[in-house]
Amino acid sequence: MAQSLAVRGAGAQPGSRERPAALDSRRKLQLALAVIWLLDAMLQFQPAMFGQGFPQMLAGSAQGNPAAVARPITWSAAFIGHHVVVLNAIFAVVQLLLGLGLAFRPTVKPALAASVAWALGVWWLGEGLGGLLAGTASPFNGAPGAVALYALLAILLWPADRDPAAPFPAARAVGRRIARAAWLAVWLGLAILALQPASRAPQAISTAPGEPGWLARIDAGAASALARHGPLASVVLAVILIIVAVGLYLPVGAQRAAVVLAIAAAAVFWLAEGLGGILTGSGTDPNTGPLLALLALAFWPAAQPARSAVQPPAPPAQPAAQTTAPTAAQPATPPAATSPGAA
Amino acid sequence: MGGPAWLTGLFAALMLTVAVYCAGRLVAARRWRRPTEMDTDGGHVLMGVAMAGMLVARLRIMPAAPWEAVFAVGAAWFGRQLFRSRRRVPASSWRCPHPAPHLVECTAMLYMFVLLPPSLARRGAAAGMAAMTASAPASRLSFLALLLAVFMFGYVVRVADRLTVRLPALAVRSAGQAPAGPPPGGSSSPGGRRAAGPANRYLAPRCAALCKIAMGITMGYMLILML
Repeated sequence: MAQSLAVRGAGAQPGSRERPAALDSRRKLQLALAVIWLLDAMLQFQPAMFGQGFPQMLAGSAQGNPAAVARPITWSAAFIGHHVVVLNAIFAVVQLLLGLGLAFRPTVKPALAASVAWALGVWWLGEGLGGLLAGTASPFNGAPGAVALYALLAILLWPADRDPAAPFPAARAVGRRIARAAWLAVWLGLAILALQPASRAPQAISTAPGEPGWLARIDAGAASALARHGPLASVVLAVILIIVAVGLYLPVGAQRAAVVLAIAAAAVFWLAEGLGGILTGSGTDPNTGPLLALLALAFWPAAQPARSAVQPPAPPAQPAAQTTAPTAAQPATPPAATSPGAA
Repeated sequence: MGGPAWLTGLFAALMLTVAVYCAGRLVAARRWRRPTEMDTDGGHVLMGVAMAGMLVARLRIMPAAPWEAVFAVGAAWFGRQLFRSRRRVPASSWRCPHPAPHLVECTAMLYMFVLLPPSLARRGAAAGMAAMTASAPASRLSFLALLLAVFMFGYVVRVADRLTVRLPALAVRSAGQAPAGPPPGGSSSPGGRRAAGPANRYLAPRCAALCKIAMGITMGYMLILML
């Protein structure tokens, strides 16, 4: 449907089957991020979020944090508790607008910028900085905080071409060195967290009330295995995460293997997180699993430099009334779609 | 633990607006001989009414069983269209050329009606979906609801992405048909004025896209409520 719309704008027939211009990989990732924001928005609209359980959940993230971090969390949770219906509705609408803003091409940049600000605020006031300062952070419970990854993705997927010949989409906006440093920081950070006591403890993986049986069984089995082989499991996990982290500095084949390994690790984390609790009716986001997978995809090395970056910029779209209809000998060829707003 | 009634009311109002608009599209397309996707618009009329009834009990006009039949037929229709499109059978200009999302929409409607608790499925039940989560049993199929919801959000995002894409005028000619370009000096706005002469422009495509976005978001919301 969406495809058909793209070619019908100026008067094509609805029954036609023209292919729209292909999206570049960065735009696809932006759209995937938009999907996750929309999912977050609808999860925020769940009935449970309009009750006192939501501010209590926020207040819980203050536990174990230094006073300077915890006090604003406690204050904001209390404030939200007094106006929970209005504020929760606002939070949901903000996330809805972020998702739609990312999808709607003219508003991609404002939406990405706003998502960074929003995510950093939520990282502190909603997630207690992912528990990094509380000593409770573990790759199995959502460290370093899902919203921190939203912010990182927003920066890496910013529609600019600082490095036009970048081998992977994440480097186009910030350059290879910074993008690789971000990758290294995320995965080495997770490796370090995997070695912390919080990741070795049997309760590192826990089942949430209301989880479907199949998910509860998976989590219970993983928790049982962790109870028996906690230290070994954490070392193995750390080694895998280190391989992922350094894999990006290896030849292309190894880079791809590292990205695939990263996606597999993200899937394991997501299962351990109970899919972020979204099947319980009380989850506010899908947690880090899908975002880590999305981050990994942003580092998928292309076989060649990004084509849209080395091609001359597409000519601006002309009003339909001024264009000449192509003849049968000159079939209509849609221009290559690039990320909106690309510099 | 019921959700706020004003929220479900808002979504219901949105769905009724979409239903009325799509019904208007069907009439306008026939009256002005402008192409539109009859099956999509017709489906959105039915879905809008059905979803409004699920969200707000007072808007319910039929029990669940007839709706299930309606959307089973809809799923069969779009499934057939999908099969034909895969086999590259030439499509009518009045039918949806990309039926997969509508097939999923019909499937999601079926899913929701089948899993709706009996107390809410009856006509005249007091509560709508605002109270559903309190009584709905944990379902083994909740992951399917999540998948359907994510599909709907993906569809919304894809439609929104294409909303502002302006491509050069494409002369899409059917056999024996005049070029479908805009009239000389006429508006190039796809949702603009009625075409003069033989131009046979699609009826308000951006408004149709907005309907799809509204429908996808609301359906995603309802599926999330069923988790």
